[in-house]
Order: sequence, then C-alpha cells, then structure tokens
Amino acid sequence: MTTVPSAHDVLVVDSLVRRFGDLTAVDGVSFRIAPGETYGLLGPNGAGKTTTISMIAGLIAADSGTVKVAGQRMTPATTEPRRHLGLVPQELAIYPELSARENLTLFGRLQGLSGKALSARVEEVLELIGLADRAKSLSKEYSGGMKRRLNIGIGLLHQPTLLILDEPTVGVDPQSRNQILESVEALSADGMAVLYTTHYMEEAERLCDRIGIIDTGRLQAEGTRDELIRLTGGVDTIRLSGSGDLAAAAERLRALEGVERVEADRRTATLTVRDAPVLVASVVGTVAGSGVTLADVEISRPDLESVFLHLTGKALRD
Amino acid sequence: MRQLLALAASDLRMRIRDRSVLIFALVVPLALMFVFNLVFGNTDDIEIEPVTVAVSAPAGDDLAAVVGEVLRSLDGMDGLDVTVRETTADDGRRQVEDGDAALAVLVPEGFGEAARTGDAVTVEAVRGDEAGLEADVVLSAVDGVLDQLGTGAVTARAGLAEGIPPDQLAALAEQATAGGPAYELRQGEASDEQLDAGASLVAGQAGLFLLFTVSFGVTSLLVDRETGTLARLRSMPIPAWTIVGSKALVSFVLGVVSTSVLLLAGSFFFDADFGSPPAVALLVVCVVAAATSVMFLIARVARTSEQAGIATSIVAVVLGIGGGAFFPVSATGRFAPLLDLNPVAALLRGLGTTSGGGGVADLGVPIAIMLGFAATTWVLSRLVPDRGALA
Ligand SMILES: Nc1ncnc2c1ncn2[C@@H]1O[C@H](COP(=O)(O)OP(=O)(O)OP(=O)(O)O)[C@@H](O)[C@H]1O
Ligand SMILES: [Mg+2]
Repeated sequence: MTTVPSAHDVLVVDSLVRRFGDLTAVDGVSFRIAPGETYGLLGPNGAGKTTTISMIAGLIAADSGTVKVAGQRMTPATTEPRRHLGLVPQELAIYPELSARENLTLFGRLQGLSGKALSARVEEVLELIGLADRAKSLSKEYSGGMKRRLNIGIGLLHQPTLLILDEPTVGVDPQSRNQILESVEALSADGMAVLYTTHYMEEAERLCDRIGIIDTGRLQAEGTRDELIRLTGGVDTIRLSGSGDLAAAAERLRALEGVERVEADRRTATLTVRDAPVLVASVVGTVAGSGVTLADVEISRPDLESVFLHLTGKALRD
Repeated sequence: MRQLLALAASDLRMRIRDRSVLIFALVVPLALMFVFNLVFGNTDDIEIEPVTVAVSAPAGDDLAAVVGEVLRSLDGMDGLDVTVRETTADDGRRQVEDGDAALAVLVPEGFGEAARTGDAVTVEAVRGDEAGLEADVVLSAVDGVLDQLGTGAVTARAGLAEGIPPDQLAALAEQATAGGPAYELRQGEASDEQLDAGASLVAGQAGLFLLFTVSFGVTSLLVDRETGTLARLRSMPIPAWTIVGSKALVSFVLGVVSTSVLLLAGSFFFDADFGSPPAVALLVVCVVAAATSVMFLIARVARTSEQAGIATSIVAVVLGIGGGAFFPVSATGRFAPLLDLNPVAALLRGLGTTSGGGGVADLGVPIAIMLGFAATTWVLSRLVPDRGALA
C-alpha cells in the first residue's frame, strides 16, 4: 500500500531536473518520504541517483524543480533545512588522519552538538557502528568495512529526521554489509526516515517500505515491492512434488481462491497463483487432504529484477 | 565561528600528524639555508680594501675637476677608503702598472669644452689586474658622473642656442651634475636598505617556502572535494564560507608560525638581525596574507589537488626567484616595476628596512604591496569560475 502524501512528509521532491552540458542526468524526478519511512532509489550506474541526492542535500543547484526537507525549501544557499538531514556520501567522506572518535566529534560539532550531549552521543554511535574498541585508532588504519560504518555513523550522529545513504554497501564484504543493513533496519525501527540508494535489488527489497526505480534520470515507477511487481502483470508460481496422485488433487486446487492455473501430472504440479506466500498453506493442506505425501514445495515470485527488465527492457546489472 | 574554529583545529591537527607540512615548512628550508650558506657563504667575508685612484685632469677645466671631486667624496662612503692622487696621464698609467694605484681615471684635454658643446668625449679608466671589488665600486661612480655630465652637456647646448654666456654655462653644467642623483642612487642601493648575505639567505628561503606552506591549508580543500568530504561538509548546517574560511585560517596559522620560526632560526644560525620584532611581525602577517590569497586563486582554478600542487610549485618558484630568494634580482625595462609588486620581494625589502633600524612606520611601501597583492588575488579568486566546484 502506498503512503498517503501528507503535509508532514519529511521530504518532498518535485519535478527535479539537472543537466550537465547536453546530458540530462536527472529528468523530472518527483517523490515524497513520510516520517519513519524507508524509501529506496533503485537504479543502475549512471541512473542519476547521486545527482538527485546532491540536489536534495543542497550540494548542487537544480535546473528546475524544488526540494523541501521537513517543510523547508532546500537550495545550495540555505542552511536551516540541513539540520534535519544526515548525508552519507557514496565516497568515504571521513578524515583518514583522524580517529573514529575525532571524526565523529568534529562532524558532531559542525552539526551543532556540543559539550556532554556531543560526547555522550559520540560514544553511543561508536557502539552502534561497532567501533567502540577501535575508537582511538586513526581511521586510515581501519578495514574497508569499518570505514564504511564510520562513514554511516557520522551521518546519523545528530539523529536527523531524514538519513540519506548513497550506496553505503558498495565494496563491502558480506559480513559488514549485513551489519550495515541491520543498523539501517534498527534506525528505521526507531522512527528515522531513510532515503537509500542502491543498485542491489535485494537491499531495496529487504529495507525499503517503498521503492522508486530510476533509470536514465527518470523515475520509471514507484511503490511498495508488491505494487511494483504487480506492474509486470506477473504472478507467482508454486511447484509441488511428492508421492500419491497429484493430478487427482489438481481439480480441488483449481477451486481455491487466488489460484489461476494448475498443470499437473502424477508426481508434480505447477500452480500459477496471485499471492503465493498467502496461498501456500491452503495449497499444501488441500494436497495433503487428497492423500499426497509432499516431498518438496517451491515458491517463485517475480522480483525487482524482473520489474526493472519489464520497465526498461534491460537488466539492472550488467 | 565556533564551527570554523572546530574545522580549523581539526585540519591543523591532521596537517601536523601528516608531517609533510613540517618537512616542507621547516626542515627543507632550514636545510637549504645551510646548504646555500656553505656554497655562497664566502661572499659573507668580503672586505672592502683601501683603494688608491690616480686622476689626471687638464688644468683649468672646471668640469674635469668635478670628476676628481666626486672621487674624493667617495672616501668614507659605504666603508670605502679612497685616496685620490692628482697626476698626469702617463704617470697615472704607470702607477696602475706598478700596482701603486688600483685605478687610473684619465680625463682628456678639452673635456669641459666637449661636454659643454655636447661633443663626444672619452674618459679613459685603467684598472689594475689586482684591483678588487672596491675599484669596481669607484668605477661605477665615475660612470654615474659621466652620465650626469652628459645631462650637463645637453643643458649647455640648449643654453647656447638661447645665447647664454659661456661662463654661466659652466655653472649650469655643474649644477646639473651636482643635482643629479647618479651616485646617490647607488649609495641608496648599498646602504642599510639591503640585507646582508646571511639575512637575505634566511629571508629569501622563508619567503619561498612560505608559498609551499600555505598551500597545505588550501589544497586540503581540493582533497576534501576529491574524497567526498566536501560534499559532507556542505550538507551540514554551516555557511559555505565557513569551510573556505577554516582552510584560510589553517594556511594563515601555518604560514605565520613557519615564517616566524624560520626567521628566528635564521637569526640564530646565520647571525641575521632583522631588527624590531613588532615591525618584522607585521611584515610576516602581511606576506602570509598575500601568500594565502594566491593559494585561493590556485584552489579555484585547479581541478585536482595534483594540479594545485604543480601550480603552487610554479608560483612559488616564480615569486621566490623574482623576489630574490636565491640572488638579488633587478630588472630594467617596461616591466621592471611589476617585479616590485611581488610579495616575496616586498618581504625582503621590508626586512632590509627593519634590519637597518626601521620601524613599523617605515614599512608603508612593502606593506601596501603585500596587502594590495592579497586583495587583488583574493578578488580575482572570487571572479574566476570555479573549475572543480560541486555545482
Ligand atoms: N559533475 C558532473 N559533470 C558531468 N556529468 C556528471 C556529473 N555528475 C554526474 N554526471 C553524469 O550524470 C549521470 C548520472 O550520474 P550519477 O552520479 O547521478 O549516477 P548514479 O546513479 O549515482 O550512478 P552510480 O550508481 O554509478 O553512483 C551520469 O551519466 C554521470 O556521468
Ligand atoms: Mg552514485
């Protein structure tokens, strides 16, 4: 279900356009993020994700269109709306000659924190990003994953209303990656709104309440994962195999609400259904009731990859 | 402001940890001072020896007599010890050959008349093989006088056309000569305004490396841009000028500290005496301001920190050499005055004044040059398009 746009949206992006010479890097992008919502911008390299974010964070000017953060207009000249925003740039925007604690303290000061509140918050974030025991080492000595985590920690130090993460898991080992995803989930559970860009569809699926699919500077489609998948007109598949007569059970399966088609022989059956996870229990029950002993049940659903393919005619990753 | 200081403090801490600034700002220039002192150090020991000049001037020629007068007047000036012997042309030559005189100046018969009519006339100078630097100083003074007498000759010719009596012309010619500053100018050049060898070595290296030192503050702006840290900084609720301002402050502090340390170390190791500390401090502050603003122009034009590094080296070498960091530079011609607008040259000039006993009040020209330079480059840096900007 789509969040109803409201006056309280933490971010309102309206018809953003940005050109670099002849290239239109961002071409009329509009979307909104509600408080506490995690919004994903999913798109391949060069889609315009970073350019969009740079305009949202007031780093570069838009050729046209507007950005409102917490109700305030954001431009490169405004200071006030930046308080509500935490940016985690795609690059490692940390000072290698400073330790994690020094990095956090410096950027915390720039965000307007000071005194005890600052030092307490710094320790909290060091725990959160798992760097408390290495807080004193210069960050140039950290592993890639540790640097990434520090990069994120700086962005959320001042507890922004909206945290913007630009491909935070690029070049990260699977373990660190999982750690990063978990902390984003935790932040989101705490009520922080998150704008998350990625070209990994698994990340978008796992983290995001709503997803915008962006390609060649245009927002191709937007919605929850399920809404997007419905766009493909695609349906789920449930494959069954077992002993007993599956063909005999087929008639009763066809009668189930939500099942569109059944192809079966004695040992296997393939069902085309509308919402496999919801339906699978009654499918299994029905088959078992027909005296079939199931050996295997397999659900397959179209994913965002199929959505991207459907919308743009090309694969998300080359 | 609080944020600007926080940023500057962090930046300074990083620059110090990074150590390269220490190396470029202090170690290398100090090492070079020692090396140059070894190589050129002997010029330190120049002793001006007494010099005897034989002069022959035709009797009854009052213009020719001026030459002798001038030579006598050199005695005692700039530590010169000049003895003038009046003699004949042949005897003058012989004295130089025998080594009795270092120099003979032979004014020909009819010199005064030729000068008055503007005709060409040659004064012969004979320089002994053994003659030292002091003989050259005397010779250059004679050159100066002859130049002035050239002016006198022109005056005389113009006078004749208007029918002024010849005896008045002689007086006019002498007036023109006496009023001309030919050798006074040289006197100024070699006076207290000049740093001695040790001091100019120290001041020159300090001025040259200052440009490298201040570049550390500013190129960090370009590094921040490359690493994405500038994007992060720009996303924070601080005015954009805070970021540039903090880099300028870092450059400025590094520049003031390193220049002060170099001048102090220089006066310790090379016996340089730069004079009044407040006046020197004022010069240091102004030259650092000028150097820092050059870096902002570079930061604006350069796309990458590497480009900025190359540009810094070029500017440092041009301003350093042009300013006399390695050897005194003087230029003639239409663009010569441009050379004086160089802040490194102004620093050396200002330190010359202070080392000669000048105070803050005597530094008007060098300070004006430095601050004018700072203001001009700053304005330029705001005017040129920002080639590597985020936008
Ligand atoms: N400063 C710039 N000057 C010129 N072109 C630019 C500039 N920044 C981005 N572009 C171009 O704009 C397009 C969008 O770039 P952008 O960085 O927004 O993509 P992205 O979606 O973030 O890609 P990635 O996943 O690789 O980070 C690209 O074609 C890029 O080359
Ligand atoms: Mg990007």
